[in-house]
Amino acid sequence: MATETDHGPGEAVAARIERRWATLSIVIVGVLVGMAAYIGIHQATMPQGRVETADPKTLHLSGEFIESNLGSEMQADGSVTVRAIGQQYSFTPQCIVVPAETPITFRATSADVVHGFLIEGTNINTMLVPGYVTDLPVRFKTPGDHVMPCQEFCGIGHQGMWGKVKVVDKSKFRDMAAAKRRLTCVD
Amino acid sequence: MSDQPLFSVRNPWFGISVGVTAAIAVLSAVAGLIWLPLAQPDLKLAGVWDAICSAAGVPRAAVQEASIKPDFKTSNVVMTSEMLTKADQVSIGRGATLAQRCAICHGPQGVSDAHSPNLAGQFAAVTYKELNDFKTGARVSVVMSPFAAAMSDQDMKDVAAYYAFLPRVPSNSLDTGRPAPAVVVTGAPMRNIPPCGSCHGDIDNKAGSPWLGGQSAVYIKAQIEAFASGARRNDISEQMRNIARQMTAEEIDQVAHYYEAQP
Repeated sequence: MATETDHGPGEAVAARIERRWATLSIVIVGVLVGMAAYIGIHQATMPQGRVETADPKTLHLSGEFIESNLGSEMQADGSVTVRAIGQQYSFTPQCIVVPAETPITFRATSADVVHGFLIEGTNINTMLVPGYVTDLPVRFKTPGDHVMPCQEFCGIGHQGMWGKVKVVDKSKFRDMAAAKRRLTCVD
Repeated sequence: MSDQPLFSVRNPWFGISVGVTAAIAVLSAVAGLIWLPLAQPDLKLAGVWDAICSAAGVPRAAVQEASIKPDFKTSNVVMTSEMLTKADQVSIGRGATLAQRCAICHGPQGVSDAHSPNLAGQFAAVTYKELNDFKTGARVSVVMSPFAAAMSDQDMKDVAAYYAFLPRVPSNSLDTGRPAPAVVVTGAPMRNIPPCGSCHGDIDNKAGSPWLGGQSAVYIKAQIEAFASGARRNDISEQMRNIARQMTAEEIDQVAHYYEAQP
């Protein structure tokens, strides 16, 4: 019967190599987990922290997605909450106005099918899924205009579903917010 | 080594690899389910259990904060794509009787030249929704509002079913050879105008969007203009106002005359 010692140096070399490879794979797994954690904390690619539901059929009846509550709201802490919906085939509000250099929370959902929520020139890109609220913290660095095409095929009129985002100067936004509680740039 | 059982606690290789794997799993779970959620300032978690639940994706209803109420009536109809699509003979019969009072403007066959909408062959969900909106005041018409005020929910369903049952009759302006304007065929994507037919039935039908073929051009034009100016606001979540606002006066005119000439 063979024992371990019978194999002499061959066995020891094999064990050492195996230990090294095992260590290397553990290190790789550790780096990947650490990388995911680092990106999650320091970059804006964190998946949404909470799953919130909203009935797509009754969005217009009550709750935060009724027509008169959509748009940008200045919060007491100086941040801005933007509420919007996607529907076949437009975003409401059709033109979203937000201040630059301010923490902004987008809260949006879909009234019918899956829509895409993408703001050109930024890394904002998520989905509006019927039944669920999309909650996305963002920050715009500079004032400017962006287009917001639906980027998730939502039906035969999908290509016509475009919104606009207008990023304005912080003080200009504050003046606008003083006059009206829900802001849009729809004319 | 060959005689040693591979999966045994006495095998150090087995013990160490299982131990390390389990340790990575536990550490990742603690990081992902507890540490990372708690590191998010926006999340406002109530504690460790809340952090675990939210990270695991347990759904919960959105918190209802005080929302700004509209200073005008909005439509309260819940639209679904399958609503009122199954014709019921009794309902159609009742609707035929009830519809006699509609005939003076909408015609005995649901078609008239009075610039009021032709209802013959209209989607039942559309007629039902508009009646409901007239009743609640979401849509206002000097003529229609008093009629709708007295109707019960069943009355509206019956009338809608009856008009959906009637065959569409081409208008006197029928001209199928009329070329379709660009805004009808392709819309104007950069202005958020999809092709009309993607909702109004020529290509696809979005519940609540009317069939436009054979409608009076005067009526179509007046309604698009009312949507554009905000005089009419019973389209749920601005679905038509968003489109109408972006249309030019010329496009509105083209669309109105094109659809009048369609069957």
